[in-house]
Amino acid sequence: MLRKLIKHEFRATARVMGPLFLIILVLALTANLSLHFLLDAQGFFPNLMGGLLLFAFGIGMAALVIISVVLMVERFRANLMGDEGYVMFTLPVSGHQLVWSKIIVSTVWFIATALVEALAMLVCVFDLELLRDIFSSFFFRRALEAVKALVAEYGLNLPMMAVEVIVLALLFCTVLCLEFYAAIALGHSFANHKSAWSVLFFFAFQFVTQLASGLFVNTDYLSGLFNIGGMNSFHQLMAVLICMELISGGIFYAVTTVTLKKRLNLQ
Amino acid sequence: MAIFECSELTKSYGRASALDHLSLTVEPGHIVGLLGPNGSGKTTLIKLANGLLTPDSGAVLVDGRAPGAETHSIVSYLPERTCIPLWMSTRKLLDFYQDFYADFRRERAEEMLTHLNIRMDQTIRQMSKGTREKVQLIMVMSRAAKLYLLDEPIGGVDPATRDYILNTIIGNYDPEAAVVISTHLIADVEQVLDEVIFINQGQVVLQSSVDQIREEKGMSVDALFREVFKC
Repeated sequence: MLRKLIKHEFRATARVMGPLFLIILVLALTANLSLHFLLDAQGFFPNLMGGLLLFAFGIGMAALVIISVVLMVERFRANLMGDEGYVMFTLPVSGHQLVWSKIIVSTVWFIATALVEALAMLVCVFDLELLRDIFSSFFFRRALEAVKALVAEYGLNLPMMAVEVIVLALLFCTVLCLEFYAAIALGHSFANHKSAWSVLFFFAFQFVTQLASGLFVNTDYLSGLFNIGGMNSFHQLMAVLICMELISGGIFYAVTTVTLKKRLNLQ
Repeated sequence: MAIFECSELTKSYGRASALDHLSLTVEPGHIVGLLGPNGSGKTTLIKLANGLLTPDSGAVLVDGRAPGAETHSIVSYLPERTCIPLWMSTRKLLDFYQDFYADFRRERAEEMLTHLNIRMDQTIRQMSKGTREKVQLIMVMSRAAKLYLLDEPIGGVDPATRDYILNTIIGNYDPEAAVVISTHLIADVEQVLDEVIFINQGQVVLQSSVDQIREEKGMSVDALFREVFKC
């Protein structure tokens, strides 16, 4: 049943995410053309157009990330807590399956968003003289040498570091979604002012997580990490951050599923 | 064994009591009218039977089990409002019901949709309110469920649509299944009912067969309802 839920969740979300991805790629292409032709052209109007298209691309890149998170949160609210909830909660599936389908599909869309953003950047800078100038510049060569020196000095494993950062970023987005899910589930368990309660719970969760993180940062363990040096301290720090995200995610998941089971209130 | 059973069921919304120690049973093979004035607790009872609300106390059982994934596979529920996703086309809605309900009879649903001239590529959003309600009812009645819980299936639709809806209910339910129809429009449903449950202020006022009411009271269900709930 989880597979079927995921299938229909993809159907529901793809009709928004698909066109969004297409728009961002078209914007990337127009930004590339602007950099190639419009900004170098003689005349005010082509330059203005080029500037506006580049601006639109920048805004589009930022908006895509925000929209993908907002859409996944809104999807949970509308599909489970809104009128569609009458259909979803009377399917022969468990609350866990409903929540997992949302988490899995959201995470896949976050990965897709990251890939599309990277692709859009590549499209934007494809075959640019400017880029070749930057890569062959003295500054870039010195920066590259500095990075190589750092890698040699501290034994940095750049691909591994990139993987850890990407995993942490994805976990952050997924846990943020779960935090919203938990707040919405709790808020909608009340008879009145459901949205206001949801917002209140979200800020309460934020306060508690910030407080817990703040207390953890002040512990001896974390300051000890920075004395280890080199890759080990980075790996340990990332491991700690990933574990913290997993624990937060686990707590928000439990709050969401228990609330949906014990306090579901579709009035 | 009763297909639907409540014992001492209580539910409040804040200080307002919706169900007050309500007990009733529904046997298979009956079409039961759950009748009561507005705010009597009919919708709350049906939502509790579907697990959409949690009771404050008491028990609600469907085929001997508390509402959950297992009971959802044998209960076909028509909510009091249109809840099917508006972005879906009729075809996607059929796919959806077929995927999740093993007892969904797609051919029958397609037959009824064709009869109403509803296109497969038309989205629910593009349909009128009445057509949306008919589509939702077709999905619900195309299942071979053990228990149908229909919440106000004829509320807010024109008389011709009421006839269509009642005919759809009668023509599509399994005679061994139980159908619970919640409504306050008694005159329209009386002809199809085997049994009635009068509910008021969260309590059962009367549970009886329609024939018994006619024989013993010498009046129709509609007349009795008007007498019992006279303002």
